Amino acid sequence: MSHSINPLPSTRRTFLQSAAAGSVLFPGIVQQLLADSGDPLSPRETHFPAKAKHIIFLFMTGGVSHVDTFDPKPELTWSHGKEIQADHPEIKDRPGYEHIYLKRPQWDFAPHGECGMEISGLFPHLAGCADDLALIRSMHTSHSNHYNATLGMHTGSFAFSRPSIGSWMTYGLGTLNRNLPGFVVIAPKPTYAGTQVYSSDFLPGAYQGTLVVPGSEPVANVRQRVPADRQQLELAALRELNQEHLATRSDDPQLLARLQTFETAFGMQMAVPDAFDFAQETATTLTSYGLQPGQTSGFGWQCLAARRLIERGVRFVELIDTGSSGNWDAHGDMQTHEPLAKNVDQPIAALIRDLKARGLFDETLIVWTTEFGRTPFNNTADAKGREHHPWAFSSWLAGAGVKRGVVHGATDEIGLRAVDQPVHVRDFHATILHLMGFDHERLTHRHAGLDFRLTGVEHAKVVENILS
Amino acid sequence: MLVPLARFSLVVVLLTYAVEPLQVAADEPIATEISVEGRDFFEKQVRPLLVQRCYECHGGTKAGGGLSLQTAKGWQHGGESGPAIVPGKPDESLLIEAIQYRSLEMPPSDAGGKLPDHEIAILSKWVAMGAPDPRDGRDIIGGMDRQAAESWWAFQPLPVLDAPLDVLRDAQHIDALLQREIEAQGLTAVDAADKRTLLRRLTYDLQGLPPTSESVAAFLADTSPTAFSKAIDQLLESPQYGVQWGRHWLDVVRYADTAGENTDRPLPHAWRYRNWVIDAFNRDLAYDEFVRMQIAGDLLSQDLDDNQRAEGIIATGYLAIARRFGHDIDKDMYLTYEDVIDNLGKNFLGLTLGCARCHDHKYDPVSAEDYYALYGIFESTQFAFPGCEPKGQPRDLVPLMKQAGIAALMAPWQAEVAKVVAEKQRRQMQAQAATETLRAHWVPSQKTLAKSPVGEGASVPFDERLMVHRGELMLLTVFPNASHGADSTLVEWTIRETAGDERTWSVAELVPELLRANPWPAGQEATWSFLDVTDGPVFLSEQRAGLSGNNQLSAWSLGSEPSVFVNSGEQPATVWTSLPARSFFVHPGHNRPVAVAWTSPVDGEIVVQGRVADAHPAGGDGVAFELNHLAASELGPALADVGRAAVGLPDAGPPPTIPVAYAVIDRDSKNTRFHERGDPEKLGAEIPRRWLTVFGGTEVPANTGSGRVALAEWVAHHPLMARVMVNRLWEWHFGKGLVRSSNDFGARGEPPSHPELLDFLAAKFVQSGYSVKAMHRLILHTAAYQRQSATPTATDPGNQWLAHFSRRRLSAEELRDSLLAVSGKLDMTLATAHPFPPEATWTFTQHNPFNAVYETDRRSAFLMVQRQRRHPFLALFDGADPNASTPTRQTTTVPTQALYFMNDPFFHEQAETFARSLLTIAEEDARLQDAYRQVLQRTPTSAEQQRLRRFVEQYPGSRAEQWAALARVLLASNEFLYVE
Repeated sequence: MSHSINPLPSTRRTFLQSAAAGSVLFPGIVQQLLADSGDPLSPRETHFPAKAKHIIFLFMTGGVSHVDTFDPKPELTWSHGKEIQADHPEIKDRPGYEHIYLKRPQWDFAPHGECGMEISGLFPHLAGCADDLALIRSMHTSHSNHYNATLGMHTGSFAFSRPSIGSWMTYGLGTLNRNLPGFVVIAPKPTYAGTQVYSSDFLPGAYQGTLVVPGSEPVANVRQRVPADRQQLELAALRELNQEHLATRSDDPQLLARLQTFETAFGMQMAVPDAFDFAQETATTLTSYGLQPGQTSGFGWQCLAARRLIERGVRFVELIDTGSSGNWDAHGDMQTHEPLAKNVDQPIAALIRDLKARGLFDETLIVWTTEFGRTPFNNTADAKGREHHPWAFSSWLAGAGVKRGVVHGATDEIGLRAVDQPVHVRDFHATILHLMGFDHERLTHRHAGLDFRLTGVEHAKVVENILS
Repeated sequence: MLVPLARFSLVVVLLTYAVEPLQVAADEPIATEISVEGRDFFEKQVRPLLVQRCYECHGGTKAGGGLSLQTAKGWQHGGESGPAIVPGKPDESLLIEAIQYRSLEMPPSDAGGKLPDHEIAILSKWVAMGAPDPRDGRDIIGGMDRQAAESWWAFQPLPVLDAPLDVLRDAQHIDALLQREIEAQGLTAVDAADKRTLLRRLTYDLQGLPPTSESVAAFLADTSPTAFSKAIDQLLESPQYGVQWGRHWLDVVRYADTAGENTDRPLPHAWRYRNWVIDAFNRDLAYDEFVRMQIAGDLLSQDLDDNQRAEGIIATGYLAIARRFGHDIDKDMYLTYEDVIDNLGKNFLGLTLGCARCHDHKYDPVSAEDYYALYGIFESTQFAFPGCEPKGQPRDLVPLMKQAGIAALMAPWQAEVAKVVAEKQRRQMQAQAATETLRAHWVPSQKTLAKSPVGEGASVPFDERLMVHRGELMLLTVFPNASHGADSTLVEWTIRETAGDERTWSVAELVPELLRANPWPAGQEATWSFLDVTDGPVFLSEQRAGLSGNNQLSAWSLGSEPSVFVNSGEQPATVWTSLPARSFFVHPGHNRPVAVAWTSPVDGEIVVQGRVADAHPAGGDGVAFELNHLAASELGPALADVGRAAVGLPDAGPPPTIPVAYAVIDRDSKNTRFHERGDPEKLGAEIPRRWLTVFGGTEVPANTGSGRVALAEWVAHHPLMARVMVNRLWEWHFGKGLVRSSNDFGARGEPPSHPELLDFLAAKFVQSGYSVKAMHRLILHTAAYQRQSATPTATDPGNQWLAHFSRRRLSAEELRDSLLAVSGKLDMTLATAHPFPPEATWTFTQHNPFNAVYETDRRSAFLMVQRQRRHPFLALFDGADPNASTPTRQTTTVPTQALYFMNDPFFHEQAETFARSLLTIAEEDARLQDAYRQVLQRTPTSAEQQRLRRFVEQYPGSRAEQWAALARVLLASNEFLYVE
């Protein structure tokens, strides 16, 4: 099936036609402007041919337990209750944590697909896509706090505000559809570390993530506050004023650029609601994502919206699962993973299958991750929860440029440390940038006298093993 | 002395390629050329290794065994055993032999022991490559050769000017210096702008507001030669000037109203610093004094009068507003000090000092030791503590009164407290007999009717039938379990008499007004009592309304818990857990059970029914409960007596508010120890607190506290301070600085476009006694400032040579203030504190951080700015970054901004209000002219007038709608949004 950018809604076409007819400047200046390399959002060349055109970044908030999901550790079951020693940041000087004991996983693992990838019973639907995943079992990160680890996973920095990965990506790639933002974040609730998670920080504001909160007005100010015919009258009058103003100012590019933004904004008023209007989706599609007709929330809604956005040329779509509370942060009881997994499992599997069916899987990179794992131990053998664990966790990639049905790296036999081919967050970032056509050491921005990059100053390496 | 411009370009070019700057100036040639790969390998792999593993013994002056590994020459000469390296031959190199532990064993076991294999491999590979080593061993400070550093243009003394300050003559001199470059570039300066354009430019520049119709009319009518000077003076005298220019300063110091740590706590007192900055600009506080006050105002004003002392303290809010990091911010203070040092360097000196935290500055003459020399000064300073998740509410705020004043303020309240204490004792005496009765009968009379653990999230019912007598008690006790005391526990409990009137009592009756009394209700008919029963009954005597900021939640408690509380709302309350609507809860404390007692007014049989449920399943191990009958009829009246003595004591009221500032003071002074590679856990040698090496390295005098006074003087006496500030003033007037990198006057910054002009301005600034307003007058009187705007051309795309004025977009604040000005809603009074929730109610966590947007009609400089969550409007229109110094506002032009002008409710509201005021003018042409005057400060042409009248006529809808539409068109126009 084709995935070409949707034709313009008729009102938009009419507007463009009237704009062209009404002025000698239009649309010539618009073309000129789009061709202008100074335009921050015009599509740009990558360092080398990109494997992927789009990214869907699935972020599971709160810390998913690797040993209960993607990293089977039978030793934990056999040695349940055995006391161990670890110089772990979460137990250091913590009363009641003088002794720690291994704790068995609560779900059974089984091999899936032709590749035989072991996935736990928490993800029955996703397990059906095992042959599409490149699973990394040796992830590790630099901080055990939600705030810092979430910031690190999004910006490469564990303390300071820095541009987010989506902003870097839009900075590098530009956008394919001027009627939609290049970088969209769909988050039902506020995240840890606030808007820093999708902030462009010192990169120009054009690369800021646009927040979509599922609901009636997903993007701020796209809903027309006056009827369309009146708005067109106002925009026509405005255009006239601005053109006259421009004519005596030698076509100042900054003034021109602003005229053009009204064109785009007018289009966004149609394109944004259109992207989030699922009326044309078949009942089969809706059901596959676990959606009821008319439903406008839930992770299934986020996944289907992501597919519709990348179909329309959006570069980077991040789906944030839950928010800074009521998430995977299972201190009290691992059983809380059950409903959280159920909430995302079917929609993610549906997304993979849907992208494949539409031929989009080969040009879209899907990233699934969390900020850190959970401890394979706790302070009593029968404690029901697990603590934050920066030393090891699991993430996976799938789609464009990624091997299918492979496992990279491993933790030790109790899932405590990433020991075989460890992948730090910055290596993970380097790999994602690589798949999008960028050398992470060359995608830089000069700020305050220094060249900054997503992967920071420490050495980062691309995980070559999982590249197809 | 000034360095000629050509030299700057050379330096910049060299820096792009060379690690060691200024090699051309070196006397001795470097023996061999080093390849790019070789240099790269050395810098990335070898240098860090040598620094980390070898320098401690083989660095510079403390070369063990005579071998220094700090320069290429060091290993070439070698030590007692001869040259350490034979380039290209690892097998013949002593160094490799030693690290392989073949002959010598290096590093020895007491200095870290044998290197890991991969590090040995790196050094072997390096030697095999021919040991490329760019360290030529000249005298280097940080990233610059000492000689180059000492002659660095920005560090040179300012010229001393003979002629006194004279605005017109000095402005002419500035124009002459500009003209020289304009001609050299083959450009031609354009004519002066018309008066209306000029006044609009000037008013936005000095106040961030559009000129009023009256001021435009007056200015146009004033044909005297001093008309412009008068306009400048008038604008500078208005307090709105300070709002605009104070905001510039707040950009540079990355002012914010929240702390930035993981919960982004509000800073309720930071506004005093914000307002002090605004006031300092308004009264033209000498800039050197302004700088000193921000670094050490508390110390400098110690012996002055109360007002001056308070001002000095408030000024140090500059230091206190540094960003806080992490969960427990005390653990990450080293990052806060970095934020301080980084900002202080950029802000006052145009130096990127923060770059020297982990290693010497790569380009500028700042060593990592320099960094820790300053670090010690701030570590010896006590910063106000904003609170954080594990450590609760703010502390160490600095009182703005002296101890005597505080004592005088506190005395009447303390007297009240003493009275309350006395009353409490009196009542306890009175209730002595009742207390004895409770003690005698409480335990012996208990009969347990039901007893059960309540698992995590579980609910356990009870249902009992028994005989009771008047005055006896029924007691329902909720116990915390082992590790988690703090579970919110839902209790439903109904008591019904089986005969007679079949009266019923239920805890449900407590829900609407729990706080009415304890015992509840008051008086002889007391029925319910709320008790801590850890060690005999103690009344929960503290009333708490509005738990977690929710008005529907109220509690009787002792501290935050133990407590009993209710959700009296019609809706579930989502707080620490979801609390069902109209419910009653018990919340035991850690090892502190809580009981609800019912005093029987019945003689006869009752049925006791209900359930106990864990309402906060994340707590861990659930709770447990017991239902007891206390069969002693003396207990009821005694409990009521004790309750009346314990609860409802007269209230001394809250203590008087002592005005405080979010500021700093000195604490015990100590030098810090070097952090190896910036790691606060790897401490090196002690570094004395001192000034930068390149500026002499003077140490903080002994017994003078933290060293902030000395630091303030060092900064205030350095020529960089004036250079950097005049460059900022120039930038805020013209849009770009003479040094474009206005936070960086170092090697990676840009050289000044007009070096002589920069120094002239700086010298004038000194001459004026550091008067910012004098500099405004000087700059504004130049012909350059008064030129027409033009579209940049290919010859000078950035308008570096100022042959014309640069058109600019309104800043976020100017845009919002102008919209409010046009609608007539702008409130020009200065704001004070933000309406933050009271500190006592804060329960912010990283899961539920502080998050608010406060609406105001005051000027946008007073919008509440959060570090973790950008204010949506300020973020949309390129407001300042609240986390990092913003010397220059970006100007992005994006479609989401256009959407603001099309659909934003605030924008629509201002346009509608503006239209309503326009409609009070009866005549249409006059109305249209007024609209133009207010929005664009001019009258419309007749063509414009005709066209817009036609627009209004064609626009469907009411009169109000038509004119609101017209207002939106004008307010969305480029002519409105851009200043010529």
